[in-house]
Amino acid sequence: MTIAPRYGLSDTEQTRVEHIDHLFSLGAPSVDELIGLISDGSWTVRRAVVGALSALGDDAVAPLCMWLRAVRTSEHAIAAVIDALAGSIARATSDAVMGLFDDANPAIVADAAVILGRRRELEMSPRLARLLAHADDNVAVAAIEALGTIGGTVAVDALIEVVRSKSFFRTFPALQVLARTSDPRSIAPIAELLDDEAFQFEAARALGRTGSPLAIGPLASLLSRPGSSIVRLVATALADLATRADWTGAQLSVASAMRALIAPALDRFTAALLGSDIQERLAIAKVLGTIGATTTLPVLVAMLDDPESRGVATDAIGRIGSLHNDALIEALERGSAATRVALLPIIGASSAVSRVRRLLSDEDPEVRARACEALVRIGDVDTLPALFAALGDSNPRVSHAATAAIYSLGTQSVSQLARTALGSPQPTVRRHALRIITFLSCGDAFDEVLAAVDDPDLRIAELAVAALGSFDDGRVDPVLIALAQRPQDKLRAATMRAAVQRGGERMTELLGRGLTDEDAWVRYYACQGLGRVASMGSIPALIERLSDASAHVRVAAIEALSRLDTPQAWQALRSAVRSTDVDEKRAALVGISHSDRQEALPILLDAAKSADVATCLIALAGLVRSSDARALEQLSAAAGGAIEEIRAAALSLLVERPDRLAADLLVETALAHEADHPAHLALSSPGSVRIAAIAARLDGADDRIAPILAAALARMGGADALAALFDALAATSPAARTAVATALLAVGAAGAHEAISRLVVDDPDQEVRRACLAAVQGARSA
Amino acid sequence: MTEVFTPQLAAIFESLVEDESGIHYGPAERPLFTSKIAAQAAEAGYENLLDYYYRLRYDDPDRVEMRALVESLTVHETYFFREIMPLRELVDGHLTDLVRAHGRARVWSAACSGGEEPLTLAMLLDQRGLTDRVEIVASDLSETAIARARSGRHARRSLRPPYPEDLASAYLEISEKGVTSSPRLREAIRFRTLNLLDEAAIEELGRFDVILCRNVLIYFRDPSIIRVLDRLARSLAAGGLLAVGIAESLLRFGTSFACEERGGAFFYRSAR
Repeated sequence: MTIAPRYGLSDTEQTRVEHIDHLFSLGAPSVDELIGLISDGSWTVRRAVVGALSALGDDAVAPLCMWLRAVRTSEHAIAAVIDALAGSIARATSDAVMGLFDDANPAIVADAAVILGRRRELEMSPRLARLLAHADDNVAVAAIEALGTIGGTVAVDALIEVVRSKSFFRTFPALQVLARTSDPRSIAPIAELLDDEAFQFEAARALGRTGSPLAIGPLASLLSRPGSSIVRLVATALADLATRADWTGAQLSVASAMRALIAPALDRFTAALLGSDIQERLAIAKVLGTIGATTTLPVLVAMLDDPESRGVATDAIGRIGSLHNDALIEALERGSAATRVALLPIIGASSAVSRVRRLLSDEDPEVRARACEALVRIGDVDTLPALFAALGDSNPRVSHAATAAIYSLGTQSVSQLARTALGSPQPTVRRHALRIITFLSCGDAFDEVLAAVDDPDLRIAELAVAALGSFDDGRVDPVLIALAQRPQDKLRAATMRAAVQRGGERMTELLGRGLTDEDAWVRYYACQGLGRVASMGSIPALIERLSDASAHVRVAAIEALSRLDTPQAWQALRSAVRSTDVDEKRAALVGISHSDRQEALPILLDAAKSADVATCLIALAGLVRSSDARALEQLSAAAGGAIEEIRAAALSLLVERPDRLAADLLVETALAHEADHPAHLALSSPGSVRIAAIAARLDGADDRIAPILAAALARMGGADALAALFDALAATSPAARTAVATALLAVGAAGAHEAISRLVVDDPDQEVRRACLAAVQGARSA
Repeated sequence: MTEVFTPQLAAIFESLVEDESGIHYGPAERPLFTSKIAAQAAEAGYENLLDYYYRLRYDDPDRVEMRALVESLTVHETYFFREIMPLRELVDGHLTDLVRAHGRARVWSAACSGGEEPLTLAMLLDQRGLTDRVEIVASDLSETAIARARSGRHARRSLRPPYPEDLASAYLEISEKGVTSSPRLREAIRFRTLNLLDEAAIEELGRFDVILCRNVLIYFRDPSIIRVLDRLARSLAAGGLLAVGIAESLLRFGTSFACEERGGAFFYRSAR
């Protein structure tokens, strides 16, 4: 084990860390000395000792337990020993730690509970549940927290007992843990505490954390009490509940229950905004959005002027807006610039068209840009002249948005409008007009475009050449051949780009001549072009460009060779992938990632471990095409990795794979991470292969993972996922049957009530019958 | 510009911008980041994003295009009197003590955006008659922001309630259109553009008794933060203090800076 020098580590600390490194290499004989170092004054050194002891496994477990029982020199040292046992690789650690449960010193028993919690072994839950009745509060609290960390429903009955005990020290943590079990039996005992002033606040928050529609009724009952503080408390809990429902797939039934039970008190929620803090305001906005009443729109629109609440308010307005477009359009008219910016992305109704069109002349450029985008969503082709006028906007964001809108709305009339715009005195308008002509290949503009090649503004001339390349017109090739002789470097470079668009023998020859042009960008585009037209005959000339004096020409040559699959080109790529220049390496890797050659795999596996994010992403995109198990393992490792960009890409690549192995790996990746890990969302992407993988794993799932898998199917929605949930009511595992029953009731699936009522009577497992009964009764009372 | 921004392409640009400015754009900011890059590429005459990238990497010898890109990406989100308590503590404690002991002191506002932070500091110093004794250097990566700071014209949102009425009325002209800072304050500050990754430029500034580097490091990733901190530590005079934003902590970066509390505010002193 090598610990790299750390920023700011003193020389003496570095020496001690190196000594620990040495002791670790000696193995078992060094355990006592390492434990002796656990009291070191430096946190960094203690971390090194902890790492070494954890990694020594079985050899260190018994001495560490003995130390915890008998030595216990300082709080720092105790924390370090707990860390070492919690992270120990020894399999027998948990059994050894449980040996400490019989100690007369409650502090030692509490430490043991903490360790077991952090090791997250579900089979320890029954033993920890027994500690809930321990005479010492600290032990019981440690056990409650450990159960909370492990998760699952094994300890539900014991936790309910603790909650009902109203023991000041134990009930609060037990509430939190019970709320997270997602067991329907937890709702009633938590709701009972709403009547007790001492526990009311925490009980309401805990009900919110259940994410269960069954908790909305008890929370609504609090609204019979006076005062705005109780409304804010209910709003905070309901907002938590709605957020959690997004994860369990119960959004629709939660929204429906809120509309039925909370909507009558909406005025109190809007009134409670006055004097509320930011978190409470966000919670109220979330509740208002979930309920979706048009009467609350003005309140939410007013929140758009506050940067801190703008995001949540926009989201809430978006939900309401889809139901009540007229109210939204009215708000658009009356609001501030910030309001218009926030509302425009939500606008899509044709009735809004005249008001949105007027916003093309708004004083705020962001409003003007978003108005262009909104007009595309509305599909207003009559607005094209106004969009062409916006091409001359002084703000580039607006002129680009107008151009993109014209691309999307493109109709017959666009070509004429673009030709007119080409005569504008404003260079910006002429540039955008040429982009539009190119994008839509408006061949009838040939004469105007040809004239624009001589525009004194070189950028316009370049765009005109590009436009020529897009025309299906025999007159173009001779023009391009002539343009390739022009003295302006940029025009010759533009000609190379246009030649690629044209293709054909004459243009390939033109590109070939470009390889030796005096200007590097001409050579660059010539290389690129020859790759794109797949000119095999150009390979030797392209290989020559690999030693071009300009780096970007070398990269373009590699890129071109990567499109030409010959042994010679492959050899060049293999050599380039070892380049010290990151761009050369990436360009070669792109080619290798598209290759079906077996030799590509080890190169991609190696590159997938690169510290450079882009290199890693290119390699992963190549690995996804491979059926080799090592490729999938690498993708799975990346999906669970620490770098957000890589994780997101690897997850989406795993989702794209149609095979069962990829789906199985996705299941395992999700189960290995907390609920907020993106693997959970990826797992619930619709797909039959994922449904099959989840269902297979669900069949034997334990208490901890069954609710996670059931929630994934519930979030996925759709007939197939729901069918899989119904099938899982007959799963082998009682934990799976309970979790699935809860999920089906939470999403309000048709037929769920009857199916689960049958389980209440017929299921062979008593715990399943009890949980299903609580769920059915709760649903009935809600 | 119709090219799709693939994750790979986005990562390439993110890495380029981070190498240049230290600013890290993650997946959460990606839509805004990519739309700004695409607009800037089109403005520079590039229809293909990778071509634009190679231009920035290999054919921008004076960094003109790169500066324009970074300029288009930077956010100038600050306001007068932001986190004023640590500034009051610095003026009333550390700086007053230094002026008393040595006659002079130097302060560097290392990412001043439109100048609201150094101007707030200058107000506090002026109120205590210390303007002539404390030299303020204020820098920012953005030329636009520095130009705005020099002009003294600020957006209306650069003044957010609640704010100290006495300072605002004494030093700011507030209208519906915006806020104008007192020329006297601006004259007391030496504004300049500076990249926090540019070690040579920082070296040129000399040593400071106080460095304000607040709400900047949140945009950086750990390796860039460590690099900047290392440089700032070397720019601090013996006994000098570094102030970072309330939401920022340097404790996880090791022991090069020791954290100390002064009148309820936290500062870092170089332990070198």
